Amino acid sequence: MTEGKKQKVTGKQGAWKIGLGVLALVVVVGFMALLYAKFSAKPVEGSKEITIEVVDNEKKSTVYELKTDAEYLRQAMEEAEGLTFEGEEGQYGLSISIVNGLRADYTLDGAYWSFYVNDEYCNYGVDTQPVTDGDAFKIEYTAAQ
Amino acid sequence: MILRKSSPRKDKKKLLQLTVQDITLIGMMVAVIEVCKMAMTFLPNIELTTFWVIMFTLFFGWKIIFVIPVFILIEAAIYPFGLWLLMYLYTWPLLALITHLLRKIDSVWIWSMISAAFGLSFGLLCAIPYVFINAPGGDLRAGVSAAFAWWIAGIPWDITHGVANFVLMLVLYYPVRKIMNMVKRNLGR
Repeated sequence: MTEGKKQKVTGKQGAWKIGLGVLALVVVVGFMALLYAKFSAKPVEGSKEITIEVVDNEKKSTVYELKTDAEYLRQAMEEAEGLTFEGEEGQYGLSISIVNGLRADYTLDGAYWSFYVNDEYCNYGVDTQPVTDGDAFKIEYTAAQ
Repeated sequence: MILRKSSPRKDKKKLLQLTVQDITLIGMMVAVIEVCKMAMTFLPNIELTTFWVIMFTLFFGWKIIFVIPVFILIEAAIYPFGLWLLMYLYTWPLLALITHLLRKIDSVWIWSMISAAFGLSFGLLCAIPYVFINAPGGDLRAGVSAAFAWWIAGIPWDITHGVANFVLMLVLYYPVRKIMNMVKRNLGR
């Protein structure tokens, strides 16, 4: 390490401080979990009417209107007649690279599929994006800048 | 542990005079960070970048000033440009700065806690740009609301990040410190 006198954290007092520090971290984790439980977007059970719009690389739009009981976007997409998609299961769930046969793979095409709900960028992946009545989803081909 | 006394003037002079050995070392540090990041991409939000930024700042001091921008440039060459790039420009330097300010502390527990705190707050730090992006006409309340929603959505990943950072530092601090002392001794500094 660099210059200066090292500050060793040892002894009974040091152990107490460390214990308190670890406890503080546990409290922070608990608080964050509580915030998540209270404020995260929740799926809604029962029938919902939603739209899913697909905008391709030529800005051509296709809109799918459906009634669904799906709680998350992936299931709703699977139910939309005529809408097809493929992707890879990754660390954050399904990562979609092909929609309606059109590939948007960043490595190969320098493009990706952007997901919006009610004109706002989706904060969740398709597996965890909740579906609520009246939602308007948009899946847009986006060329990387 | 090697302790080296140096004057600020000497350090400033050294900063202006990068030697071939310094450049090589900076390249090696970036390579270590990048390889570890790539090797662990299959694990959600579990990374060694935090660990290495802390260790490299502790052991090689000012050289981290060059390591972080090069690391970000490589990431930018691999992944599509996005807000993450802006986030990286202040989150990793902030970690290096905190480490530098606390560099005299020599406790695996304290460094594990700092790593955990950084992981836990990563989402919150990254939410800052969303405040301004989502504030049409300077309506900061709308911006804060959007940034809050974005941060909340990522909390499970922040918790994973924080816990993993804690464990990784706890496990790796002593063995890596031993090796880095050896490297530093061999480098003759």
